[in-house]
Amino acid sequence: MISARALAKRWEGPGAEGAPVLADVSLEVGAGEFVAITGPSGSGKSTLLHVLGGLDRAFEGELRVAGQSLRGLDDRALSRFRNAALGFVFQSFHLVPHLDALANVALPARFAPAPVADVRERAAEALGRVGLAGKERRRPSELSGGERQRVAVARALLLRPPLLLCDEPTGNLDAASGGALRTLLQSLHGEGQTVVVVTHDAAMAAAAPRELRLEAGRLSEVRR
Amino acid sequence: MRAGDWAGLVGASLRRERLGPWLSALGVGLGVGSLVFFVALGLGVGHVVRHDVFPQDARRLEVIPPAFSLGGLLAPARLDEAAVARLRALPGVQAVHRKMVVQVPAACWYDGDFFGHRLRAGFDVFMVGVDRRLVEGDVAVGEFEDPKPGEPLPVLVSTRLLELYNKSFAPTRKLPRLGPGMLAGFEFPVQLGRSFMARTEEAVSQVRARVAGMSPAAPLEGVAVPLVTAARLNRERGHDAESFTSVVLVAEDPGAVPRITEATRDMGLQLDEREKGAAEAAGGAVALVTGALALLSLLICALAAFNIAHASTAAVRAREREIGVLRALGATRRDVRTLFLGEAAVLGLCGGVLGTAAAVGLARAVDRLASQVLPPFPFQPPSYFLFPTWLWAAGVGLGLLAAVAGAWWPSAAAARVDPARTLAG
Repeated sequence: MISARALAKRWEGPGAEGAPVLADVSLEVGAGEFVAITGPSGSGKSTLLHVLGGLDRAFEGELRVAGQSLRGLDDRALSRFRNAALGFVFQSFHLVPHLDALANVALPARFAPAPVADVRERAAEALGRVGLAGKERRRPSELSGGERQRVAVARALLLRPPLLLCDEPTGNLDAASGGALRTLLQSLHGEGQTVVVVTHDAAMAAAAPRELRLEAGRLSEVRR
Repeated sequence: MRAGDWAGLVGASLRRERLGPWLSALGVGLGVGSLVFFVALGLGVGHVVRHDVFPQDARRLEVIPPAFSLGGLLAPARLDEAAVARLRALPGVQAVHRKMVVQVPAACWYDGDFFGHRLRAGFDVFMVGVDRRLVEGDVAVGEFEDPKPGEPLPVLVSTRLLELYNKSFAPTRKLPRLGPGMLAGFEFPVQLGRSFMARTEEAVSQVRARVAGMSPAAPLEGVAVPLVTAARLNRERGHDAESFTSVVLVAEDPGAVPRITEATRDMGLQLDEREKGAAEAAGGAVALVTGALALLSLLICALAAFNIAHASTAAVRAREREIGVLRALGATRRDVRTLFLGEAAVLGLCGGVLGTAAAVGLARAVDRLASQVLPPFPFQPPSYFLFPTWLWAAGVGLGLLAAVAGAWWPSAAAARVDPARTLAG
């Protein structure tokens, strides 16, 4: 599902221009795997996830995700790839505040190159799958943190992408909600979904059968 | 992104913003409304000037003899039948109508009943003989012929003169207003050979004149009589009865007019462009005032566009995370840009429609107020405004243009938002 060779990236923002964020990162993730990437703050976990998700194009090395080489893709092709092949779950949920839960979940279908049949039904089904049946008309402000994150998961799953990328998905959740989300991700993995989670959360890392650790821009396998 | 999805996202975003964007639309509406209002006013007043005060026909030319010529050596100094025949033979000329001024001084001293009012008035009567075909349609067949001895002279009164009388002269003298049909058959005495304004040595004879009808072709400053009558009166009093004062040429189509004009000038003749010049001067003044007010309105539209640019720039900053999410979910840069442009376009369309509708409403209110407040005056139109279809379209289009122009660069900035940066943390 993911094949990365010698990925490298340097810091481009103000303050430490040119400092390495990722250095010689190589990674293989097979279809149906559930992988947790852990590491201290500032180690480049989120950056790695953004590179894997085609959100950050300024990297060196070779990267293939879901059979597609991400180097050299133009904006349109990369956007189509994100839409079809990836589902994102973010720490801050990143739901669109003026859309209700159903419309938020249906959002990826609006950017699909071909019309998606029965979008509303599929969105409602996705919400039901994450335990939010009956809350379709609620706006994000009317949902708890855990519910918002489950809406985000439903949104990520709408177009049934082969790869789910989660960036600190339990970072803003209480213990109970975090536990429910872990269970949900394990359940998805059980159904064959490939999941890559970047996390600080030890329990979340433990829920994944495989853990990789990123330190000082370098990735290593954690032996259990 | 498909149109339906685009419209859904634009609509949802605009529904979220309760006040700010709609204030921007109001600004666009203000600019568009004022522009449409003033342009409609200019069109309406210009229409009155061109069609009522100085009626112009694009197919007609009035040819006159040259004011100065070297006699018959270089060009004809007279507009006689030979010259008329040459004019009639010019390519593109459909009809030729001759005019001859009655050179016999004439005056009227009226002392009697005038539609139920006692009227005592004296005035010179300026008479112009016109071809029957020039006024056909304005007078019944047989009513505009050279009269037999003892019968009154048939005269045609200018429709514009009637308008001036009704709206200006009659109210100030407390005389009755007259409809076009009321004056037909009215008789008044005319003394040939007499003038109130100039000394004359001519013998005075008394005739009667009878109004045969109203015609826009009759002179504003006098009356029209049959051409044959004018020639007869001139001949009887020893004046030139062979030369015409002017000849009206009717072109087959307006496109032939420049060619006929050139040929006419080649014949050493001139065009009487006093009416056209007056119409152009009045129309120019109207256009100048309208243009100045329209420019002011365009400045308001430009300010509205700047306001939208400012609001859009702020919206892009405030919605960077939302843009990042859309990009993560598969929106292309173009999708993001068209979303922001779409929101601005909807606001601009609303502003354009509201502004144009407000301009129409305000124009109707002004018309109603004017009819109640202003005293009657000549050529008073039922409406001072004209709203042709293109003006409606231009109003709505301008609103759209101003809004899209305002959002153009902010939308480009939105498309450049880096999702990796906005979604971090």
